[in-house]
Amino acid sequence: MTDSTAAPSRLDPALFGEGPARDDRFTVVDVWAEMVNLPDGHRDKQREFFHRQMNEEACVMENAARSLAEFPDADWRVRKGLARQCADEARHVLSYRRLLEARGGHLGQYPVMNFQYRILGRIDSLVGRLAIQNRSFEADGLDAATYARDEARQAGDHELADMYDAQQADEVCHIRLGNDLVRDQMAKAPRTAMVIARALTQAARAFARIFAGGGTEVEKYGIAVDARLEAGFSPEEVEAAVRMSDARRAAVRERATGGGVHG
Amino acid sequence: MGLTIRQKADRIGTFRFISVYLMETLARWVPTTPELEAKVLFGRHVWDFAQHADQLGRRTGELRAAAQYSLRPAAGYFKVLEAVASAPGTLERVAGFYDGFLPDLERRYRGYLAETDQLNDEPSVRIIERILFDLPRLKGDRIAFAAQRADLKPLDAGWATRIAALAAAEREFVTDRSPARTSAAV
Repeated sequence: MTDSTAAPSRLDPALFGEGPARDDRFTVVDVWAEMVNLPDGHRDKQREFFHRQMNEEACVMENAARSLAEFPDADWRVRKGLARQCADEARHVLSYRRLLEARGGHLGQYPVMNFQYRILGRIDSLVGRLAIQNRSFEADGLDAATYARDEARQAGDHELADMYDAQQADEVCHIRLGNDLVRDQMAKAPRTAMVIARALTQAARAFARIFAGGGTEVEKYGIAVDARLEAGFSPEEVEAAVRMSDARRAAVRERATGGGVHG
Repeated sequence: MGLTIRQKADRIGTFRFISVYLMETLARWVPTTPELEAKVLFGRHVWDFAQHADQLGRRTGELRAAAQYSLRPAAGYFKVLEAVASAPGTLERVAGFYDGFLPDLERRYRGYLAETDQLNDEPSVRIIERILFDLPRLKGDRIAFAAQRADLKPLDAGWATRIAALAAAEREFVTDRSPARTSAAV
C-alpha cells in the first residue's frame, strides 16, 4: 500500500490525531494557508473546490467508518446510521470526482488537508464525535449546500444543482443521527453535556489553527433554517445559529470593507 | 427432522455475527487503505453488510431469540474471519474479501436455503434471497475496482486462494446452543 501521509505533521498532537491513509497521487498539507485558495471568478476555482470537497467527503466517510469500528458497543440503530453515512459519503466522493473529471480536472491536481479526520481522532467519545462531525461540520455543510444549490440553479448549472440537492437530503439524515444521539444520551445522563462541551471546545481550538490566516472569511451563505429544523435542531438552536451566523458574516464584511481591526 | 426454531435462530444469528464482522472489517479498512477507489468500494459496502445484519437481526427476534441476536461462529470459522481481516495490502484486502471469502459465504447461505423448510421458515428464506441478490452487485463493484486500478500489484498473489481454502476447510460454522429446558423429559 503506498501512502503519502508519512510526512511529519507540524500540528499539535494534543489536538490532532494521525491522518488517514492517502495514496501518492495526493499532496497532503496541514493547514488552510497551504492549500490553493483561489479568488472568486478564477477559472480554476470550481475545479479546485470539487477536488477539495471530494477529499472532505472522503474524510467524513473515514470518520463514520472509524467510529463504526471503534465503538462496537454503541446502540445498533446508531451503528446502522454510521454505516449508512459511510456509504452516503462514499457516493459523495464519487459525485465530486465525476464532476471534477468531467470539467477537466484530475485526482491529485491540488493539495488536500484532512483536518476533519485528524480533529476527530482526538475525541474519545462517540457522542462528542457526532456533536462535532454531524451537528457542526455537517450542519455547516448543509447551509453551504443549500446556498450552492440555489446559486447553481440560478446559473443554469442543473447538473451541479441536482448533486447539491441530493447531498442536502443526505446531510439532513446525518445531522439527525447526531441530534438523536445527543438528545438520547442527554436524557440518560445529563453529564453528557459536559462531554460534548469539552469536545466542541477542543474542536474549536483545533479548527482555529487549521484556518488561521483567512480560512473562515466566508460571508456568502447563512443558515438553512428549514433544512436545519428538518434535521432535528430545535427552533431555539436554529435561532441561536442564525444570530451567530449573522454576527460572524457582518464582521467578515466589515473587515473586507476596511472597517475592522485588520482593515 | 428439520431445523428446530432454536437451530434456525442460531444459524441466522451466526449469519448476523458474520455480517457485522464484515461490516466492521470494511469500516476499519476505509481510513487505513491509501487508494481512494478502494476506500469508496469498502465504504459503500459497509452499508450493505449493515443492512444484512439488520434484516437477519430482526428475524432472530421472530425466532424466539433476542432481536439483533448475534452468535459467534465456531472457533475454526472465526479464525477464517480473522485471516480475512489481516490482509497485508490493498489488493489482498480486496481479493481476500471478495474472491476468497464471499463465495464461501454465498454457499453457506444457499446451504441454509437447502436445509430449511421453505414454507415454515419463509421469512428467513426471503431475507437470505435478498442478501443473495446483493452479492453479485458487490462482486461487480470489485471487478470495476480492478479495472480502475489495474496498476496495483499484489504483495501476495496467492492470498485469495488461501482464504478460500481456509474457509472451505471449515465445514461447521455454527455453534448451536443447548436445547431449551423443559420440566420433564419426553
